[in-house]
Amino acid sequence: MDLSASAIVGIGRTAYTRKSGRTGISLAAEAIRAALDDAGLSPSDVDGMTCFSTGDPASPLRVSHAIGLDEIGWNVNTYAGGNQVALVMANAASAIITGQAEVVVVYRVLDSNVRYGKVTGAVEVGGFEQFAAPQGYMVPPQWFAMWAQRHQHVYGSTCEDLGAIAINNRAHAVANEHAIARDPLTLETYLEGRWIVEPFRVFDLAYEVDGAVALVLTSADRAKDLRHPPVYPIGAAEGTGAGGMPDLWSDQTSMYSRIVAPRLWARTGLSAADMDIACMYDCFTYTVMATFEDFGFCDKGEVGDYFREGRATYGGDVVVNPHGGLLSEGYLHGLNHHYEAVHQLRREAGVRQVDDAELALVTAGAGPYGGAIVYGRERPS
Amino acid sequence: MTTVDWSQLPPPQPLPDADSAGFWQATANGELRLCRCTNCGHWHHPPLEHCRRCAAPTAFEPVTGTGTIYTFIVQRQPAVVGYFDQVPYAVAIVELDQQPGLRLTGRVVDVDIDEVRIGMRVAARIEPLRGGEFQVPVFAPVAVV
Repeated sequence: MDLSASAIVGIGRTAYTRKSGRTGISLAAEAIRAALDDAGLSPSDVDGMTCFSTGDPASPLRVSHAIGLDEIGWNVNTYAGGNQVALVMANAASAIITGQAEVVVVYRVLDSNVRYGKVTGAVEVGGFEQFAAPQGYMVPPQWFAMWAQRHQHVYGSTCEDLGAIAINNRAHAVANEHAIARDPLTLETYLEGRWIVEPFRVFDLAYEVDGAVALVLTSADRAKDLRHPPVYPIGAAEGTGAGGMPDLWSDQTSMYSRIVAPRLWARTGLSAADMDIACMYDCFTYTVMATFEDFGFCDKGEVGDYFREGRATYGGDVVVNPHGGLLSEGYLHGLNHHYEAVHQLRREAGVRQVDDAELALVTAGAGPYGGAIVYGRERPS
Repeated sequence: MTTVDWSQLPPPQPLPDADSAGFWQATANGELRLCRCTNCGHWHHPPLEHCRRCAAPTAFEPVTGTGTIYTFIVQRQPAVVGYFDQVPYAVAIVELDQQPGLRLTGRVVDVDIDEVRIGMRVAARIEPLRGGEFQVPVFAPVAVV
């Protein structure tokens, strides 16, 4: 598999706000037009479009129509949350490499009708969730607080360790004008944050926003002639265990990354030590903790010290979530991590630029399901 | 437009299917029965029509419902309909004694939530679910002899 025969050539996004009052279709169209403009392309160049969603109305069919296309060729709406973002990006690259499309737009949009932290309406629940949802257990913060508690029990990790992750992300968001949460966060403020679901406080949870992100891919050959330096997907891997049922995962001190990390590093010939940037999927602080260990940045139980010692920020070993992540830039379901990786690898991130950035790991997912992709400035020889 | 008071709505109700019907029939009778392979004896939860190990048919069999808390949470912020006025409450993933990895998730009752611990021994008890005819298994601590 040589994903680097394709390249990301354009990035675009809307503002990230608490409540936009706009439809998903309108937000997506704005981000996509911006991404195409960034690439020096126009909607008429697009013959492929893909997104992931949990059933919202801004599908590739409607969105491609909204940006002026009379027809769309390759289009895929993957039913998924943040767990399959890397897969969606790899599929877009594959569509180009296999000649199914020449220019593919990948986007994700969230409007105020899509919120995952709370269930307010009357509901009937089927599938595997039919057993625990009736007991007041049916939203992701609850599932993953279970995992964090187990990690604390087995490895002695602490809430202060989770806080160190939130604080690091926030420190990066302070310098990011696009981020939704930019007030500096101290450990004291973190610990004063209200409990949501123990062991998670409010600062352990992603910040849900309205907004859209889009990326444009084309072939590596065509990319050379476009406006910005291309950014290449170097390799990707996916893995899901326990049938995707979080409570059934055998050891909740590790996540999908236990499967995906060896797969990704074997495919790319790279390792954690090679990464300049790590955009770690951070729906919750604990997601970063478990996956960071699994990808080999440090040993089990050492994440708190790693972050406190400044090894996860500028001047350290690897810059984790230079944009502030889902915790502080905003919950764009992880596609904003890919935007950030491209922005950094093009070296256009301004005051937030990671020096000499060559390689970025972007992870996607939490718990039993996820994937990851490595992007580079140079095409591997 | 009528204002709906979400806090007065019942908890989510289960939607049984062909594979899970036996579970809900048992709880309706005040019993905990789980899905088990009629050939190799492997337990399955959630239930399956055929064993994922040997593909033989399964049937529902009674279990003691005793087990150990693998992990748990304490819900402090109202998050799920039907439980807005129930916070704080504890929910645990319980590893049942029948088989390693056989897990059932439910609320932990009859104990101060600050006393809930990983490794705590618990037993299932069947309770009515508000808002319908269903009954659900919850877990209460058992004295360790």
